Amino acid sequence: MVVLNFTLTPEAAAKVHDLLVCLGKFSDTVAIEARRERFTFTALNSSKSAYAALSLDAKQFFASYECIPTQGGPDGRFTCSMYTKALLSVFKGRLYDPLGRDGAIDKCVVTLQDKADQTECRFIIKMVCNQGVIKTYKLTYEATDVMHALFDRNVAKNRWSMHSGAMKEYIEYFGTKTEMLDIVAGEDGRAVFKSYTEKISNGKEILKHPLVTAVAVNTSDFDEFNVQPGLHIIISVKDFKSIVLHAETLKTSLKAYYSQPTRPLQFSYGSDGLLCEFTLMTSGDYNAAPSATPAAPTMSRANSRAQSTTTDRSDPRSSRNEMPPPIEPASRQPARQRRNPVGSRANAEPKPAQPDPDSLFVQQNEDEAAWEPLDYNNEEETLGWDASMEAGSAVFPTFRDSASFSRTDSANSSEAIAPTQRVSQVKGLW
Amino acid sequence: MRFKASIQNITTFTKFTASLNSLGPLAWVKLSDDQVCFTIIPEQGTQVWAVLSIDTIFETYTVQSAANNVINLEVPLTSLNRALKSALNATSAQIRLTKKDNLPLLALTIVTASNSNSHAAFPTNGGNNGDDGLRQTPLDGSLGGGNRETIVTQEVPVRVLAPDTVAGLHEPQCREPDVHIILPPLMQLKSISDRFTKLALAGTKAGAGSAASRTRLEMAANMHGCLRMSIRTDAMSISSVWTDLNNPELDPNQVAGGNIGIAEHPSTRMKLLGTADGRSEEGWATVRIDGRDWGKVMSVGRLGGRVIACFCHEHALILYVYLPSDNGEDESVLTYYVSSYSA
Repeated sequence: MVVLNFTLTPEAAAKVHDLLVCLGKFSDTVAIEARRERFTFTALNSSKSAYAALSLDAKQFFASYECIPTQGGPDGRFTCSMYTKALLSVFKGRLYDPLGRDGAIDKCVVTLQDKADQTECRFIIKMVCNQGVIKTYKLTYEATDVMHALFDRNVAKNRWSMHSGAMKEYIEYFGTKTEMLDIVAGEDGRAVFKSYTEKISNGKEILKHPLVTAVAVNTSDFDEFNVQPGLHIIISVKDFKSIVLHAETLKTSLKAYYSQPTRPLQFSYGSDGLLCEFTLMTSGDYNAAPSATPAAPTMSRANSRAQSTTTDRSDPRSSRNEMPPPIEPASRQPARQRRNPVGSRANAEPKPAQPDPDSLFVQQNEDEAAWEPLDYNNEEETLGWDASMEAGSAVFPTFRDSASFSRTDSANSSEAIAPTQRVSQVKGLW
Repeated sequence: MRFKASIQNITTFTKFTASLNSLGPLAWVKLSDDQVCFTIIPEQGTQVWAVLSIDTIFETYTVQSAANNVINLEVPLTSLNRALKSALNATSAQIRLTKKDNLPLLALTIVTASNSNSHAAFPTNGGNNGDDGLRQTPLDGSLGGGNRETIVTQEVPVRVLAPDTVAGLHEPQCREPDVHIILPPLMQLKSISDRFTKLALAGTKAGAGSAASRTRLEMAANMHGCLRMSIRTDAMSISSVWTDLNNPELDPNQVAGGNIGIAEHPSTRMKLLGTADGRSEEGWATVRIDGRDWGKVMSVGRLGGRVIACFCHEHALILYVYLPSDNGEDESVLTYYVSSYSA
């Protein structure tokens, strides 16, 4: 029988939400690997060009954590996989809210029900909310092999590190719909992040070609920048954006490790017991890099794919410290790019808050979005009775007509349309 | 063929391209010595002919070509707008016409300087975390403290149009309008017309055949400061009336025939009809336009210009949007041609 129980503080639960949002951009399913000293979410995208491993430290990340795998002693593990969306519907946004508004929780208690004598195996998540409300979710899971991508940092001589906040600024310049990101270490003290799309241009189509954006950054603006000058390395811009956006939620520095094009690249960041590692396939001109890199790819026979199921174990790999990863056997990496097929079109763009679409009254805020033509097709609108008490009373305080009549807040704007008639002036109806 | 300029007024240029982009994806841009013209001619719907004085958006502007120093380009507005958006916080921005792999493109070079505090100026990813703002920890000096200078280049693919290609494009001609009136704030107009259109569409399935005729807005104005907007379906009839708007006086120097021309102008005749309270049935010049198309036209409101609407009864509605300018001389005007449906 596997024992797996843990408790999360609201802050930690919110971080689980953030990381699931990020993993959801890579894969529809996440794999879970629980060990005695850490709990790891992993995801591999459908084209197997990107692998993510996000480890939560038993002592630092959790309020309490207990994991006793069935077999394997200290190295044993429990693995399973679940739908990212199912987990996300449990770990919603706004779990952590100091003001205790809707959705905020006091703590999150997770237990695993996995006993031979029970018919149901479930992942049970209890969200303990304010006022003693407890929401219990029972999720099904699937036994699975969890594989790790191996990455040898000793070979990855090219490194840089930069604060994720600055990185986020840069990715916001990138045009939408671009596919590739070329990271160039210039020879003039600048590094260039260039987002572009492979040419598909012919004739009229050329105007549909996405923007090509190059962001040149002084290497002195990096926390660390140690890359062979002139080296180009190409990854998927979508993966990069997902990673930067997640790193930014942790407000930490993002570190990159790589050797040369066609060899894997790893991004790593983390804080407070959460360690995130993304191993990505790269492309680029293999020969272009003047191979001053002394470290010939001694890529450790990558493919030690550790496997286990709930019952089966026998995992010789010991501690995680030397863990690194990609399962991608080097030979499987296509030298050319096969790009960007990743399933979910999860849209990470922050959406501006929509003004109340039902209001006939003119909005006060000069919101750019308000000037966009309304998209009537997308809006599911049916006429109906608005049953919400507060909405009704705010817009039209029907029976409170008095000398001091004032149309609640929205009347201050000079642009707002004042009520044309007082209710008291209406004769006959009442 | 050379075109190079530094962008002086990035915000205006960005809003301008966004407004045009709501009407069509491609603009014909004509660069010449003394002005920049943007024209949108969509397959159906409203045409825009915009004439900007150079210093509305550019400074240190050079344009050279074998064809009288005129360059005609076809520009994808979405990309141009997107590129300009990245310049909103720039210390300087330049645009030039260049070629790469034998393909012409407009290259924007944007220099931004941000200091370590500037991250807060960017919207946090509020979609996922409503509490982001609260969790934001002050950034320490680890960012390198001082100013960071970043150079962003955005490359917008364009097509160069031969003079022959654009020779056949002409601004629509229209008879003298019956009524001209200064519109109320466009945000007001837009939210009400959007609401009307939405109500007219409520209950219909998207894409149903009858939807087009349902969103027919009727706009009318008289020479006594009234504007009326209404929509009618089988089930309802709604209208809003504005009063006390301004009908600008015609300038004899601008009207063909001077003072005599004004005396014979249709609007002079219309002045004799109708009332200032908008209750009279007489004296209205009416057009029927598509509510959705109108919503796209209203997108120009973000530029904050003064808008004069000219009504040619049962024929067309022409909007002149005058951009605010610093020197008050070379005015920039966007002209919208909205044609009226017959029923």
